[in-house]
Amino acid sequence: MSALFDDLLAVEGVKGVLFFSSAGELLFEESGVGGMGKSSARDWQALLVCLDVTREADLIFEMGRLYIRKADEGMLVVRMGRIAPASMIRLNCDILISEIKSKKGSGKPFGGTKLKPKKGLGRFFRLPEL
Amino acid sequence: MIKNVLLVDDDREMLLALQEGFARYGDSFSVLLAGDGVEALEYLKRQPVSLVVTDLKMPRVDGFELLATIMANFPDIPVIIITGYSTPRMEHLARKGGAVAFVAKPFLIENLARQIVSMLRQEADGGTLHNVSSGMFLQLIEMEQKTCTIRLEEKTSGEKGVLFFMEGELYDARVGERQGEIAAYEIFAWDSVSLAIQNTCTVRQNRINKELSSLLIEGARRSDELKARRSERQGGEFRLKSGPSPEDTQNGVLQKIECTLGMRCKVEDVIQDERWTGRILRISQCGERLKLGKLALAYIDQGDSRDYLLLPADQTVVAVNPKCPRDKLLQLLDE
Repeated sequence: MSALFDDLLAVEGVKGVLFFSSAGELLFEESGVGGMGKSSARDWQALLVCLDVTREADLIFEMGRLYIRKADEGMLVVRMGRIAPASMIRLNCDILISEIKSKKGSGKPFGGTKLKPKKGLGRFFRLPEL
Repeated sequence: MIKNVLLVDDDREMLLALQEGFARYGDSFSVLLAGDGVEALEYLKRQPVSLVVTDLKMPRVDGFELLATIMANFPDIPVIIITGYSTPRMEHLARKGGAVAFVAKPFLIENLARQIVSMLRQEADGGTLHNVSSGMFLQLIEMEQKTCTIRLEEKTSGEKGVLFFMEGELYDARVGERQGEIAAYEIFAWDSVSLAIQNTCTVRQNRINKELSSLLIEGARRSDELKARRSERQGGEFRLKSGPSPEDTQNGVLQKIECTLGMRCKVEDVIQDERWTGRILRISQCGERLKLGKLALAYIDQGDSRDYLLLPADQTVVAVNPKCPRDKLLQLLDE
């Protein structure tokens, strides 16, 4: 599953990636090089509520930076250091979101043949009708 | 007015030979040297330049790229191309790109110097005036529907600017790398100027689209505001007690952006909008809970015709066109 996010996690300066469903459920969380401590999903959800009507946000904090991107499938959150190649990260997010969309469309979000995902992103995508 | 000629070539020996050869024309122009297009553009941003002489083949930014950038951002500056790889096609491309002359290497320094002097004379072929207030004079240009390029120098600061008139209409202005309305206001705020009139105008696109009289009035208002702020700062008492006013903060933010990015900044408004206050506070609190610290700066795209830059420390919101140079703005405001 995390293969989808590998390219984004490999970008220099990216410390972690989170993906939330449109309902705010945390579907995926992974740390990149340098990592990030796991935070409570509730704290992230509170942030996403503040950004409810936002399509895209670059938030620069005192000790780090977040890039948040809304898609039909949910909210993508990229945590990075204060100095990070922002345009490269945005480009990777474009690619990632279109990949998520196409996987969702094909009914095989993670490339598997048996589509009974109970965990991770799979819970979020609709199963094909048999 | 002292005229600077910028010589651009990656051949250091060539540059030094030209500098030596041009020394005898020191009363007509002085020489600036740049090793490639990047260095040349740095000079153009920082110093007033009257003419550029450039080689074509150079590392980083070559002569054609430099020519195109000058035509787009400094259209009043004539460019002479010198090259060791002269072909009719190259000459055609250079002239099509806006070069005023094309010189094949090897050439006689004397001949190039004569060409430069002749070009520089054209800067003031319509005459010069000293110690005038620009407002009245410019209204005459409008009334007479003149097409001209006016180069102005502020008497006390020595700052230089250019105004472009097409049939009496102010099409564009330039101060350093700032262009359009912003540059025009800056020039109109100058009290006493020397000016040189060139009877041609290379600018074809109207970047300003406003009545000259309203621009002059707004320029005067800004000048008064600036003077009042300066005197307040000198008096100091009120400012020390209460800190900068919201207007000062907004002007400071706008000035910082425009001075660095010029017209490319695509800023539409700088405001203090209370509707954002609660949201900024909540995002900041979330940041602290996520161990990221307080919010320093944010760029928000809501899918509207405007995006927003939030500056919590200044309690200021900058509305920008979505096509703005986002990363440059964030980098600048995060400094």
